[in-house]
Amino acid sequence: MTRNLIELMVLYQDLDLMLKETAEAEATMGFEMEGREKLRKAMDDIAKNISPRFLRTYQRLHTRFKRPIVPVQNDVCLGCFAKLPTSYGEKGRKDQMIYTCEQCGRILYWVE
Amino acid sequence: MKINELVRILKPELFIPGMQSGTKPAVLDELVQPLVTGGFVRSKGLVIETLSKRETLGSTGIGKGVAVPHCRTLAVSDLHIVVGISKKGVDFDALDKKPAQLFFLIVAPPLDGNNLYLPVLGKVVESVRDSKLRQAMIAAPDFGSFLKAIQGG
Repeated sequence: MTRNLIELMVLYQDLDLMLKETAEAEATMGFEMEGREKLRKAMDDIAKNISPRFLRTYQRLHTRFKRPIVPVQNDVCLGCFAKLPTSYGEKGRKDQMIYTCEQCGRILYWVE
Repeated sequence: MKINELVRILKPELFIPGMQSGTKPAVLDELVQPLVTGGFVRSKGLVIETLSKRETLGSTGIGKGVAVPHCRTLAVSDLHIVVGISKKGVDFDALDKKPAQLFFLIVAPPLDGNNLYLPVLGKVVESVRDSKLRQAMIAAPDFGSFLKAIQGG
């Protein structure tokens, strides 16, 4: 499936969080959930389609933030609530580019 | 969470009384479509893929003809529930191996403001426990009848 870079990264983060949630659930409930290995494999497959440079950015941000990719609403980064520059507007953005918040450095995703 | 709070989240445009799909992937596709039509998601593919990957952790077919596919994804900005009814039933790898007829698709952002995701999931499962109410929900021809059924007839 052809998908732009940011969507691949969002999917990667969604699965990453899903895996962490199941790890927490396992610790609480005291038994192993099936399919975690399959999910990890799916994450690895997605990672193969993301350039190593952006994966490194994700991992580096992950050491500081639980969610390295955050949504944008009304031109505001929902990670740190900083107003984004006008050049990040819809007309200025390119599909295969990754945009980060100038204030906190998180990767930005425009949901709407 | 009270049933009224759950009912407030349900929307008529996210209700499919006559689902046509016959397979699990097709069901997910059909359930996500109203979210796309209503402009609630930016990327249909992303939601479907996250839901499919969630299914690898274990089927969300909880048995007794009910399935609750769910996931958290950045592709939505609010929590949404899509209700689908399939008269013929679809094999959803349910625990009891019975075909699923009643679907509740729940999608939420990783951080939903009111933290409704888990309470909603719990309330949905609780609301389908009663066999009579479950059958009334499956038989509901329209959104109004469905709301009446889920609130206890």
